[in-house]
Amino acid sequence: MLGGFSVGKTSLVKRYVESVFSETYLTTVGVKIDKKTVALGDRPVSLILWDLAGEDDLASLRLSYLRGAAGYVLVADGTRPATLEIALSIRKRVEVDYGALPFAMLINKYDLQDQWAISEEKLEELRRDGWWVRPSSARTGEGVEDAFTDLAQRVTR
Amino acid sequence: MSISAAETLEWLFHPRPAEGTIDRQTLAELLVELARAVEPRTEQPPGVAPFDPRLEELRRLILGREIELLERLRQVIDDPERLGLAVGRALPTAVASSDVRLGHVLAPALERATETSIRNDPRILVDILQPVIGPAIRKSVGETIDNSFQSLNESLRQSLSWRGLRWRIEAWRTGKPFAEVVLNHSLVYQVEHVFLIHSHTGLLISHVAAPDAATQDPQLVSSMLTAIQDFVRDSFKGSGQQAVDTLRLGDLRLWCEAGPLAMVVAVIRGNPPEDLRIRLRGVIGRIHQDRRQALESFDGDSSGLADVEAHLAACAAMRQQATTRKRGFPWLVFLLAMLLVAGAAGVGYWRWEVAQEQARVRAEQEAEEARIRAEQEARRAAELKAWSDYLDRLRAQPGIVVTEADERDGKFMVSGLRDPLAADPAQILRDTDVDPERVASRWQPYQSLEPRFVLRRLEASLKPPPSVTLLLVNDRIVASGAATPIWISRARTAARELPAGGPTFDVSEVTNIAETTLGELRRAIQSHEIRFNTDEALPSPGQEGVLDTLAGQIKELTTLASSLRLMPRFRVSGHADDTGPSTLNLSLSVARAGAVLALLKKRGVPADLMSIGGAGNLDPAEMGQTERARSLNRRVTVTVRLEDEP
Repeated sequence: MLGGFSVGKTSLVKRYVESVFSETYLTTVGVKIDKKTVALGDRPVSLILWDLAGEDDLASLRLSYLRGAAGYVLVADGTRPATLEIALSIRKRVEVDYGALPFAMLINKYDLQDQWAISEEKLEELRRDGWWVRPSSARTGEGVEDAFTDLAQRVTR
Repeated sequence: MSISAAETLEWLFHPRPAEGTIDRQTLAELLVELARAVEPRTEQPPGVAPFDPRLEELRRLILGREIELLERLRQVIDDPERLGLAVGRALPTAVASSDVRLGHVLAPALERATETSIRNDPRILVDILQPVIGPAIRKSVGETIDNSFQSLNESLRQSLSWRGLRWRIEAWRTGKPFAEVVLNHSLVYQVEHVFLIHSHTGLLISHVAAPDAATQDPQLVSSMLTAIQDFVRDSFKGSGQQAVDTLRLGDLRLWCEAGPLAMVVAVIRGNPPEDLRIRLRGVIGRIHQDRRQALESFDGDSSGLADVEAHLAACAAMRQQATTRKRGFPWLVFLLAMLLVAGAAGVGYWRWEVAQEQARVRAEQEAEEARIRAEQEARRAAELKAWSDYLDRLRAQPGIVVTEADERDGKFMVSGLRDPLAADPAQILRDTDVDPERVASRWQPYQSLEPRFVLRRLEASLKPPPSVTLLLVNDRIVASGAATPIWISRARTAARELPAGGPTFDVSEVTNIAETTLGELRRAIQSHEIRFNTDEALPSPGQEGVLDTLAGQIKELTTLASSLRLMPRFRVSGHADDTGPSTLNLSLSVARAGAVLALLKKRGVPADLMSIGGAGNLDPAEMGQTERARSLNRRVTVTVRLEDEP
């Protein structure tokens, strides 16, 4: 799980996955590990999620935690367009360090419609590059299951 | 900033003598100028002396309220006690809503105060720290004593047994120090878990646990261990190949042995011998040797590596139980052994005594800690209960809407809407067990549509006369009784202006005083005219009958009005005809009114309800200069005004 500060990664993870470690790991170790089991057909797949502490300062992002990752979920905050830019530059850095990995992109906080600040055209533009982009909401759960299922399909292919 | 505010206050309330006086001369001149602007004929010099008391009166009329207000403020500021109270009321809210700067400003002062307090009486700090440091020191000393006893015990035990003799021979044979041989054989430990973790992905390849060991989800633990390895390496610039090889928590150790592709992690309780690490190294080596291909292509599916479990299980089975003391004594050096055993028994007993004492102290300490904890929890639960009771009571109050209630930084916060007529939340708070000091309230005023509040507001704005009662009937406000038409019309306007959704205001049952018996009586009284002969101040002969009727009706009306809680006022007005000079007519008309008043008083009408006035010949009943018109104009009439009873 990658994204800028306070985009809602931990909230997405909190309600839809199994979690045994406390959130303070994020501030101490910089990562918190959770598990999400999704069913692909009749085959259960466990995704071990590394929820990385969100940083707006890219330099301090611990990208070493991505070593060995099968894929990743990029999260941006739909009410703050700057976080989308941060997510895009994180993706670039990941690609430089680890090559092209499958990823899903969630534009979070879709429930805050009145503050939504990212246009559909922008998202279409990203989709045209073959990206999996979907608005999501930790509050309603919209987009979350889809992202994990889709990512699981792509990493096991 | 605060200093300049204080100076401003000082200037405001303690002006220098020159600033405190009024330039009366200028004021007087200004007033005269004003007067001349209205009436240019006003003459100079003005009739206003600089020290005319009327100036003071004027000042009082215009600024009276402000002067009084400033005086009150000044009293508050001058009286340290009252100022303290006022500031004290505002301070908690001010502190609660302050930003970080307050902390920065307060910190040095607090530090100085703490320092002074400690310097003055270090015992206070000692008393505060004692409960924390005491047990920590006791625990540490206890553990050290415990450890030394254990090793002493072990050595004594081993030296005396047949096995001990064997270990001596082993030490002599292998050239190892005897202590190491003893340690290897006697340390108590158990391997509780063994994880095999794929180094590159941090995913779990295999996990074996001892039968009675508990853990969280091994997959998550395995990733987290990898994360911690990464974290330490990143944070302290370890090289890529190195790994954290030991983590220790009390008597729990994690020993990690990393190979190029995978890492084995053993979770061990107790004191494992260094041997165990060599075995772990052997296991990870063998797994790499046997299954290098499978490890290299590992993608999260561990079914292809099921056979490594056997290697791990061999490690997990490792344990060294505390050996029971052998009862068989060596057959050689029997006597020496006896003596040593007696000594060991003595030391053992002594140690047992000490251990007993330690256990007792520890148990007492734990019981005390548990009691304190339970007390704290109970207090906390009671506090939360009191708080939620308070909120429930607030919510049950009409005219109070709680929109937000929270606990933050040890403070209870409540905010919402409150009708000014609703109960005072601070009063309700005093009736609960919540400490008012810990509560910050913020109430926005609003108007509740609660019928009884609407009723009270109507009462305040309409000021119903005593003859009218406002009652609440099934969420409807009903006015009944009798009132003047003016009041009724005001009430109707108020009824129309009430907001929708609230109670309605029904004025239809209020009768118009003018249309009642009272009204008729009033009309009757006002229709009478007492006649006079020319130039006479006394009524003309034959008016006694009219006066009798008039007096009777006045008294009747007074009684009736009193039952409606109204106070009648009778104005006896005299009139004259147009003959003679008007000044004479004026005094004649007043005299006629006075005569009628006296006559009415004689007939039992209370004089204090009556007043007299004269209109001279200015208000004739009939125009014209005929004798008939003049006779009609020489008259006295009575008008009635109804006032609310005071």
